[in-house]
Amino acid sequence: MTETSLPATAPGLAAMAETMPPGRPRSAARRTAWTALKYALLTLGALIMVLPFLDMILGALRTPAERLARPPVYWPRDPQWGNFVRVFEELPLWRWMANSLGVTLAITALQLLTSAMAGYALAKFRFPGRTGMFRFAVGAQMFPFFIFLIPWFFILRYAPLMGGNDWTGQGGFGLLGSYAALVLPFAVSWYGIFLMRQFFLAVPDELLDAARMDGAGEFFIFFRIALPLVGGGLATLAIFVFLYHWNEVLWTMTVTRTAPDLQTLPVGIYLLRGAFEQEATKSLQQAAILVSVLPIIVLFLALQRFYVTGITSGSVKG
Amino acid sequence: MRGLLSSKAAVPWLFLGPVVVFAAVFFVLPVVFAAYVSLTTWDSLTPPRWVGLANYQYLFATDPIFLRTLWQTVYFALGTLALGVPLALGLATVFGRSRHQGAWRVLYTLPMVTNIVAIGFIFWFVFRQTDGLLNRLLGLFGLPGPGWLTDPSLAMLSAILVFVWMELGRNMLLFAAGLASIDESYYEAARLDGAGRWQLFRFVTLPLLKPTVLFVIVTGFISGMSYFTLMLVLFPGTQGGPGRAALTTGQYMYQMAFEDLRMGRASAVSYVLFALVLVATLVQLRLLRRGGVEARG
Repeated sequence: MTETSLPATAPGLAAMAETMPPGRPRSAARRTAWTALKYALLTLGALIMVLPFLDMILGALRTPAERLARPPVYWPRDPQWGNFVRVFEELPLWRWMANSLGVTLAITALQLLTSAMAGYALAKFRFPGRTGMFRFAVGAQMFPFFIFLIPWFFILRYAPLMGGNDWTGQGGFGLLGSYAALVLPFAVSWYGIFLMRQFFLAVPDELLDAARMDGAGEFFIFFRIALPLVGGGLATLAIFVFLYHWNEVLWTMTVTRTAPDLQTLPVGIYLLRGAFEQEATKSLQQAAILVSVLPIIVLFLALQRFYVTGITSGSVKG
Repeated sequence: MRGLLSSKAAVPWLFLGPVVVFAAVFFVLPVVFAAYVSLTTWDSLTPPRWVGLANYQYLFATDPIFLRTLWQTVYFALGTLALGVPLALGLATVFGRSRHQGAWRVLYTLPMVTNIVAIGFIFWFVFRQTDGLLNRLLGLFGLPGPGWLTDPSLAMLSAILVFVWMELGRNMLLFAAGLASIDESYYEAARLDGAGRWQLFRFVTLPLLKPTVLFVIVTGFISGMSYFTLMLVLFPGTQGGPGRAALTTGQYMYQMAFEDLRMGRASAVSYVLFALVLVATLVQLRLLRRGGVEARG
């Protein structure tokens, strides 16, 4: 995915040669000034990115008295580090984290498998319907999520023979109160299929044909020969999918509003906001929110390189 | 099984099988189902009643706020692009080619991995009128601190600012990748001709970066048009901000469906919004491709 976008021509250049003033010699002083300006801008930008997080940390450390003082105290004089422990006692944070982790890992595993299988079929086989399937996968990405919100809800609600439903889908609540409701609708990613197809295109056909000559089965060839060759693509997709679904809120909130046991970290924190209406309790709320973002930030710092590839690959050209 | 696998034509479909089943249940069925529901009145408890195009007619002729939410949604989507794209492009150009970009990048991409609920709450605190960080900073310069989240004329702007902050890192990464793919020889040739910094940007960077700019604008517009999770957190206990000033069409649809139980009308909203996004996307692709450098790939 490192193809470069060399244009056929560079039309700007010819026009430029005619319209530009002759080059001026640039002094060292000007260059220094430019560098200084550059770093000033970068520092300002970095401050804007980081200050909201620092503001949140200071907030989590204030005592109730500091919050209620008029004017309110900004720098906590007696930092309440204990707030970060107390939130674990007062909120089901472990439960939310376990749900987040389980649901996100399940979605990631399913999407990797379905994307790799479909991408492999589209890249490495010629068969009637291939172009149609590929166009479908590309076109499906144009459908925004909100179209599916209502239908998915009722498809899961009326799933036949599930969750107390009879074969016509009546009688129970279907899959709504189950983890399946959080996972199944995201089992396939059209973008993932597209991405994995790109990676499989680079796998040489000769390698697969040689294995076939040796009598290897198709699934053996896929899992043992083709899949290991696209490890980089799988890692990129995995991190991309994991981060996206770890932070998913809207769908999870919609199907777990009445099922607190299934709620994930961001959804639990959002739906429990009412417990922190009192100004004195807001330090705890801020601590809980920080706890909810810390694990993923640490993971991200560790895996940054892959994530960056995931964002930019498949984007530059479409 | 053996016989099935050895028949060559069936092999690709074995790999595609799970996806085909998924597409039928979670893609084709929902798209058809939503279209059908949009032509009915349905409270989700009693059977749906066929009403033809009445829901669509209601939205455009009778509904007091539907058109207003559309306008506010377009304002949000275009506002985030107008502020966010030049900012990300400028920052990526200024230090996209510098050697220390790794360390900076971490800071700018932090919001990308922070969940939207946390971001919403973080800015709910930053925007508080009396003691929020932003108004404290403004106070240092002797400026008055407005009610960022309580003043109807500022509410949507505040949401736009948060969204720009949130997306800045992602857009910068995209632009940085586009910049990295521009061959250095173009810059050398232009420098030999005596081009200054601005001319390099205007006549080399910008034309060659067009595919990336196109991608950022189109995807940014699509996500901006269907966005509202942030507004749920920023404006708690309201129906889309003060005086509904930050109510987008997506959130209006969500309220209709899951609070008022008007599934038919909500489905009609989702289809109108989808049509709008689709048409706008196609128009953008057309306009932006025309007259640009034709990039292969």
